[in-house]
Amino acid sequence: MPEEFHVSSLVILCRKERAAEIAAALSAMDDMQVHGGVPEGKLVVTLETATEGEIVERLNQVQLISGVLAATLVFHQFEPAHSSEASTGGCRHGSLAS
Amino acid sequence: MRPRLLVGTMVGMACLAAGTLLAQDAPRLRGPDPFTVEQPAPPMQRAITNDVRVRRNYPDQPPLIPHSIEGYALDLHANKCMSCHARRFTEQSQAPMISVTHYQDREGNTLGGLAPRRYACLACHVPQTEARPLVENRFVDMDALTEPERQPGGRSNR
Amino acid sequence: MDLSRRDLIRAQAAAAAAAAANVTLPTQAQNIPLGEELRLKWDKAPCRFCGTGCGVMVGVKDGRVVATHGDMRAEVNRGLNCVKGYFLSKIMYGSDRLTQPLMRMRNGRFDKEGELQPVSWDQAFDTMAAHWKKVLREKGPEAVGMFGSGQWTLWEGYAASKLMRAGFRSNNLDPNARHCMASAAVTFIRTFGMDEPMGCYDDFENADAFVLWGSNMAEMHPILWTRITDRRLSAEHVRIHTLSTYEHRTSDLSDAAVIFRPGSDLAIMNYIANHIIRSGAVNREFVDRHVNFRMANTDIGYGLRPENVLEQRAQHANDAQVSHPSDFEAYARLVSNYTLDRAHELSGVPKTQLEALAKLYADPKTKVMSLWTMGFNQHVRGVWANHMIYNLHLLTGKIAEPGNSPFSLTGQPSACGTAREVGTFSHRLPADMQVANPEHRKHAEHLWKLPEGLLPGKVGYHAVEQDRMLKDGKLNAYWIMCNNNLQTAPNTSNETYPGYRNPLNLIVCSDPYPTVTAMAADIVLPTAMWVEKEGAYGNAERRTHFWHQLVNAPGDARSDLWQLMEFSKRFTTDEVWPAEILAKAPEYRGKTLFDVLFRNGQVDRFPLSDIAAGYENRESKALGFYVQKGLFEEYASFGRGHGHDLAPFDTYHEARGLRWPVVDGKETRWRYREGYDPYVEKGAGLQFYGNPDKRANIMGAPYEPPAESPDQEYDLWLVTGRVLEHWHSGSMTLRVPELYKAFPGAVLFMHPEDAQKRGLRRGQEVRIASRRGEIRSRVETRGRNKVPRGVVFVPFFDASQLINKVTLDATDPISKQTDYKKCAVKVVAAAVQAAPPQPSEPDARGGPR
Repeated sequence: MPEEFHVSSLVILCRKERAAEIAAALSAMDDMQVHGGVPEGKLVVTLETATEGEIVERLNQVQLISGVLAATLVFHQFEPAHSSEASTGGCRHGSLAS
Repeated sequence: MRPRLLVGTMVGMACLAAGTLLAQDAPRLRGPDPFTVEQPAPPMQRAITNDVRVRRNYPDQPPLIPHSIEGYALDLHANKCMSCHARRFTEQSQAPMISVTHYQDREGNTLGGLAPRRYACLACHVPQTEARPLVENRFVDMDALTEPERQPGGRSNR
Repeated sequence: MDLSRRDLIRAQAAAAAAAAANVTLPTQAQNIPLGEELRLKWDKAPCRFCGTGCGVMVGVKDGRVVATHGDMRAEVNRGLNCVKGYFLSKIMYGSDRLTQPLMRMRNGRFDKEGELQPVSWDQAFDTMAAHWKKVLREKGPEAVGMFGSGQWTLWEGYAASKLMRAGFRSNNLDPNARHCMASAAVTFIRTFGMDEPMGCYDDFENADAFVLWGSNMAEMHPILWTRITDRRLSAEHVRIHTLSTYEHRTSDLSDAAVIFRPGSDLAIMNYIANHIIRSGAVNREFVDRHVNFRMANTDIGYGLRPENVLEQRAQHANDAQVSHPSDFEAYARLVSNYTLDRAHELSGVPKTQLEALAKLYADPKTKVMSLWTMGFNQHVRGVWANHMIYNLHLLTGKIAEPGNSPFSLTGQPSACGTAREVGTFSHRLPADMQVANPEHRKHAEHLWKLPEGLLPGKVGYHAVEQDRMLKDGKLNAYWIMCNNNLQTAPNTSNETYPGYRNPLNLIVCSDPYPTVTAMAADIVLPTAMWVEKEGAYGNAERRTHFWHQLVNAPGDARSDLWQLMEFSKRFTTDEVWPAEILAKAPEYRGKTLFDVLFRNGQVDRFPLSDIAAGYENRESKALGFYVQKGLFEEYASFGRGHGHDLAPFDTYHEARGLRWPVVDGKETRWRYREGYDPYVEKGAGLQFYGNPDKRANIMGAPYEPPAESPDQEYDLWLVTGRVLEHWHSGSMTLRVPELYKAFPGAVLFMHPEDAQKRGLRRGQEVRIASRRGEIRSRVETRGRNKVPRGVVFVPFFDASQLINKVTLDATDPISKQTDYKKCAVKVVAAAVQAAPPQPSEPDARGGPR
């Protein structure tokens, strides 16, 4: 049972002429979604996983795809998988009780 | 639930990652600790003068002033702001024209120029300094609440 | 994790990556939202900041405020807001919002010397209640107190007043409005027998001349200033005269900037009165029919501690408020001392400027609106200053009609509504009634359905006195709500902070954010703010304005109203009321204060089903009835039929505020004037009906000097105040990045020659020192405020530069309002060690160090 829920995003730099084909390959992977960047050869991709380890694993996989020049992690956010406080922005004040 | 921004080569986006704590400058907010201790005065901040427009938080927010206004006359005889932002000067100045709302008087009549009630520009429009915010503000832009719901191909089936 | 939240994060993630890569996402993925998804829920609310009372439209989506703008339908501002108002959307979202009660703890127990740690509401309230009971038992009601606010909603102030006066039987309740406009409030009663202005904002569009006395409206009341500039620039004959001790944005836009020596405004006004009399401009008929003359006691001291030599020396320090019946001739004789020459000599103002000003008031054809705020009210002779301005309007009959209007501006959103009208001052009850008046107390006991003799008749400690009594160990249980007094009280190092840390005292502070005051308190209660609760404010023109709860407060934060009412459940009448009262009224025995004050058949009269559909109302749901409506209707019963009539509760949720008295559904724009005010008898034309003889008082008083003036060592006048971008102590506006970056820190405004003389340059760090204490700041010789030689100005919003460690705790002896505008300081480069290393607690009344 996954306790957490991780969303991350990547920018994948690839050869322009092969960008469309790589995008298709990425879309076929689990939990991966391509948002755009094909014309520029800089694919914008989001990834949803249950652990941090899976992000690293997926990053390694992507880098091995032929035509990929670099894959960089830009954004990472995780939250409890079942949470109701999220939408109220339940902000904790942590620094007072030091 | 603290989102983190991983520092990659292309990252310059701190403000998008809501929840990232910015530099705390507690004395400005909470005073010296303890109260009686002497507090050095923080340095004065330089004005931002890069002329780059700043995105508004919502449509009705008055735009911020991205240039220096030092020495600008704003009195009964002259309004320096209008020498660039008045409609007839915007071509040569390339400054944004005052909003159409600024042509309306209190009764809602549209006038031929800046409405007198809008004369004191600095009541609403303020310049900025390079000061770093004391504490993060978690205000959420309405776009962040409206747009993702329309993302096609999302796994949600709403 | 619900799906929309997942979508939102994914979209943020994609946007971050796209921006980092400088890629524009295709339209498919970055669609323009349409229809339902764009819809925001819009509701009206008054602005959270100053006393102007602008209407704001608040846009809510998914439980968050996402946009605000000026309300086009609000009469006050017709679509405009100032920069603070435009950023209201962001004031609730500072990431250091308090979301849990905090208490000083050590080894798992309350300990005044411990660190602030999160606790439950029960733990916090239990600790408070135990201390309150102990103090009440051992020292009685005079040892408990509360410092409230002109930012409280009407019902919060009303509930606090009931809890303190009827529950704990103590009048030690005072609002921070004491620092803000007590001089105005006291003088209204002394002059007209009733509080609050006779005119309203409609005067702006009707006046021919505006005279601003110690008011920088361009920064402090920007939207009212737009109405003045609108009038000035739309009608050619209109003139603006601004009196101040330094030049600022308001004087920039004035026809005359009249810069006078601190305190000499009294001489200027007496000169104008003299001019009016000598030039034959007295409106004889008006004066004969509507005015009485009185003479004030003089040499009245400065509201300092009684042992201070200035108080010892003053002839009437103990009966400063007393005045005696007099007549026109005596008054004319008094002001005849204030010739043009003498006024010029005392004030330093050019004679041509003084004469031009006098002619405005004297000319019967010029309708004059006089406006004032802190320069007048924060004045050791603030009550006299208020009297003197009414004197000018009463001598000429220029009052209570469109455009002829002496008008007191206020600094807090409900300074009028809550602090004054509800009666949260230590000497007041609702609707202008006074605690010292047995008839008034009896009336309140009757309306509150409480036993006769319950309400205490002794006037409680006022703001500055509360701090002194905390320090002296006479006030031991203290609740600070909705204000930041450790930053804003005068002479804080010597007179405020010691009381907070006095081991005898428990200090509780309710606030949304960790302020200077909260950080020095023993218990900190996280508080809901603005549209996180249903509220009502009363602005400076008698306008009562409501709003609904639109979003929830974060975490466990709760409104002041809930805190007050919930706390009242922890006391029974037997614990806090004397046996002789309970013996006379045994039916109250064993009941909680909540039962007798709030479940009294009146406050709990309206069921939850009365709450308008579609709105949350947390405190009502928690307490089981529509608390705001019940409290409001009970409060309104004090004023209805007595010139303070309020409309029915629900009306206010529809209207953009209404100006009381509201009679037969109609608001009143000009009081005391037939045709406008239904309380004026037919055919009378004009009646100041607040006084039994229906006349107003002209009060004769002289010029008297400030408590402290510059001398050889402390050679500069210090004036403190505010800036446009920050509201008061800055606890909200400093957390809005745009406002913070616009004015990121306090500076010392100084004349370039004064700086040069001291070898200082712009930006240099300096020490500002008085006989009370010192702080460090930075020199500013340019910018918006242009001070004359010999005067410096420092704003008080910046907690890293607590200028109130330097100020003097002198007050007007009548209104007890602090004079923050006049004390003596010296300024030296910070690098120069002005004094040996500071002791951690500066000596109380230490001389120069």
